[in-house]
Amino acid sequence: MSLGVLGWRWAALRNGLQDATAYRIEFLFEFLGSAFVPAAVQWIVWYALFQLGGATTVAGMTYVDMIQYTLMSVLFTQIRGGDQDFELQEMIRTGGLSNYLLRPVGVVEFVFIRGLAPKLFIAGFCLVIGFAISLFFPFSALRMLGAMLLALMGNIIHYQLGAALSTVAFYWEEAFAMLMVKNLIVSLLSGEKIPLNLIPEAYSWIWKSTPFYLYVFAPTQFALGRSSITQFAGELLLSLVWVVACWGLIRLTWGLSIKRYLSLGG
Amino acid sequence: MGSLGLLLKPEIQTHNALTDVSFEIEAGSFTGLIGANGAGKTTLLKILSGLIPPSSGEALVLDENPFKRSMSFRRQISLVMGQKAQLWWDLPAVDAFDLLQAIFEIPKKTYQERLTTLTELLDVTRLLNTQIRRLSLGERMKMELIGALLHWPKIIFLDEPTIGLDILAAHKLREFLKVFNHKEKATIILTSHNMDDIERLCSRVIILRAGKTIYDGTPTGLTNEGERRLRVRLMQTPTLAELCQITGLPAERIELQKIGNEEASEKNEGESETPIQPTHDSVLFSIGQEQIVGVLQALMGRVQIIDMGIEQQSLEHVIQKLYSEERASV
Repeated sequence: MSLGVLGWRWAALRNGLQDATAYRIEFLFEFLGSAFVPAAVQWIVWYALFQLGGATTVAGMTYVDMIQYTLMSVLFTQIRGGDQDFELQEMIRTGGLSNYLLRPVGVVEFVFIRGLAPKLFIAGFCLVIGFAISLFFPFSALRMLGAMLLALMGNIIHYQLGAALSTVAFYWEEAFAMLMVKNLIVSLLSGEKIPLNLIPEAYSWIWKSTPFYLYVFAPTQFALGRSSITQFAGELLLSLVWVVACWGLIRLTWGLSIKRYLSLGG
Repeated sequence: MGSLGLLLKPEIQTHNALTDVSFEIEAGSFTGLIGANGAGKTTLLKILSGLIPPSSGEALVLDENPFKRSMSFRRQISLVMGQKAQLWWDLPAVDAFDLLQAIFEIPKKTYQERLTTLTELLDVTRLLNTQIRRLSLGERMKMELIGALLHWPKIIFLDEPTIGLDILAAHKLREFLKVFNHKEKATIILTSHNMDDIERLCSRVIILRAGKTIYDGTPTGLTNEGERRLRVRLMQTPTLAELCQITGLPAERIELQKIGNEEASEKNEGESETPIQPTHDSVLFSIGQEQIVGVLQALMGRVQIIDMGIEQQSLEHVIQKLYSEERASV
């Protein structure tokens, strides 16, 4: 069966999913663990603040608002982005990149697509959960779908930034710490730990000037009906701009630094 | 203090892996690249395959600058590194091959035919659905080779493909490469420390030493076809000068092997066990076949011979000498 423009991309997606799910229990455990442990921590914090501390609202959000945010944001956090940028820096460092450079495909795109496969699978799973929740809570299934699209755009941006940063390994042989710090900043500014409207208004420019809030906060707010269709359309457009800008950044950084590749370890 | 100094101002040393290398390779040929560790063999393969650019000079492969890595160039070459896995560890080989089929846009029918041919030739059909991590080193190497050949490359770079393989697996791999080179007219460039690989496969050998070409020709040219090694054990070993005088041969043609050294040297040549321990030193004469009788007669007239044998000059021995000369010159 010819898949036209998809070509090898479809095969890479399939291969990536096979690879990610080679150990099914491990895959399931990773998904459940990374979803429920952070959700439980957040629930404990909100419980302490509202039920034990006696607060009724925090930044205009009630206890129920917080719990809804936590449950929904956990779903989008699963889509946020994988470790493909770490994989890239490791390949640059160890010489594993050589395997990919000699195949007639773009290495950055190839690694992304293979890593995207399990995320798409999880996105489908999260959608089903979201639809199920929408039966009991006043959520719109259509909004859930739109929010998931935005979260997937966030996944692309997250990888693109990581792929550009990973080129540091061409110069310093190691970009692990840099990528790790990026992920820590993302975990704070994407809204996966706390709703970003808890950050004082005076400092909101910080998270608004990065694309990270498009990963979790913006999709969660839209899915929960807390942002308008116009706002969502603007965020979707903004995510597209980020994707194009990051694509340019990747072309620039990889074009410049690949000349320094040493192909070690052979 | 020294470490702190390095932290603030790291010391950078530049080492030229290749300094004086120039050659052309004929399409469809089988060329061996040999040299001691660090001689520059793998660096040369990396330059030729387009992984790294030369810091000076020029490389042209298939009339292209390999470092541009054009899509058409990538479709026509293949690089197999014995120490680097290209297939995915947790997946069966067939999944990786399916992906490679899509990447190289190999028509389904052609792909099936090639896969059948390659797996049968290398005797791994039954292992196609086994996870790569569960295969033995030899089986994995064969799968790597299949993955590298599925797109029928015009040029194949092989970096120590028989490393770690047992005798039978290495033999099968060699036979396969020979057939592939012969039938498909693929140009193959091979690096190996296994002289069997070179002797049995390559019609041309390029030897690198410290980044320079020191030999470029046929393997037989290296071993001096017609030259033999006459090994004799004497009751009492004379000095080198005396042996020169007795046989009339120059000193560089005579090699004295003390018992201890000889054992080590024999082990190096792969004869791990000697059934009878020698009790006397050996003398090795590198001479032409027609000189053998004369040298023996001269020796018998002056010394008592206990044992003797005639060996063909092996490539391994020649290379060993070259490597030891290199170490001595460093």
